[in-house]
Amino acid sequence: MSILAVRDEGFAEPSLPRANGEPAFDAPWQARAHALAVLCVEASGGEWDDFRRRLMAAIEEDDQRPYWDSWVVALDVFITEWGVVATVP
Amino acid sequence: MAALESLLVDKGILDLTAVDGVVAHYEHAVGPMNGAKVVARAWVDAAYRERLLADGTAAIAELGFSGPEGDHMVVVEDTPEVHNAVVCTLCSCYPWPVLGLPPNWYKSPPYRSRMVREPRVLLAEMGCVVPDGCEIRVWDSSAEVRYLVLPMRPVGSDDLSEEELAALVTRDAMIGVERL
Repeated sequence: MSILAVRDEGFAEPSLPRANGEPAFDAPWQARAHALAVLCVEASGGEWDDFRRRLMAAIEEDDQRPYWDSWVVALDVFITEWGVVATVP
Repeated sequence: MAALESLLVDKGILDLTAVDGVVAHYEHAVGPMNGAKVVARAWVDAAYRERLLADGTAAIAELGFSGPEGDHMVVVEDTPEVHNAVVCTLCSCYPWPVLGLPPNWYKSPPYRSRMVREPRVLLAEMGCVVPDGCEIRVWDSSAEVRYLVLPMRPVGSDDLSEEELAALVTRDAMIGVERL
């Protein structure tokens, strides 16, 4: 896929309004997933990098998987390893 | 996702209001308009520009912008000889406090690989033609460093106010995939 195709797709996506730039989320669940990661990192008392490393690993695992799906995979791993809940569905 | 959120809320680990608050914050308060203010300030205030280039994180915090993905900011300055562009080859590192969340193309595998392999070709495809003889420097954002491009002040903008200048600054110019 050419970068232009990716970019045009980006501009065409209906989503949250942004000043000076296209929207960052394609669907509300992505905004929730983003917020959950921010808050979980904060609540765990760790650094943002603790999550970022898992995101990197999730993307490396399958580079073609949609970005926000990888984000959720990383969040699952983060929460599981954090250990605050017994099992993550 | 909804199950995950409910679980965290039911267990009392997260507060639903807090989740809504973060969603609203990134929807309304964080975005490239913040970075545009930083760039415009650097254009009109030489002392600020120096501080910005010396310690990006501190100078950006002076304008009230900080938060996750906003540590270790390094600002790279365009000149007639050098065009800077930013990528994150491994994931999606991006300076949220000044640019908001990254656009989809920034996170796409083709952008992440081609910006390193053939930046001039890729930039031209994105409508950003860098003149021959102008060096392209590609900066790989990471946990250690997040880059922001300080574009050149547009020719003919001498009479504009700081606020008017900020309106000229685009997100893409601060990533380095557009020339103003």
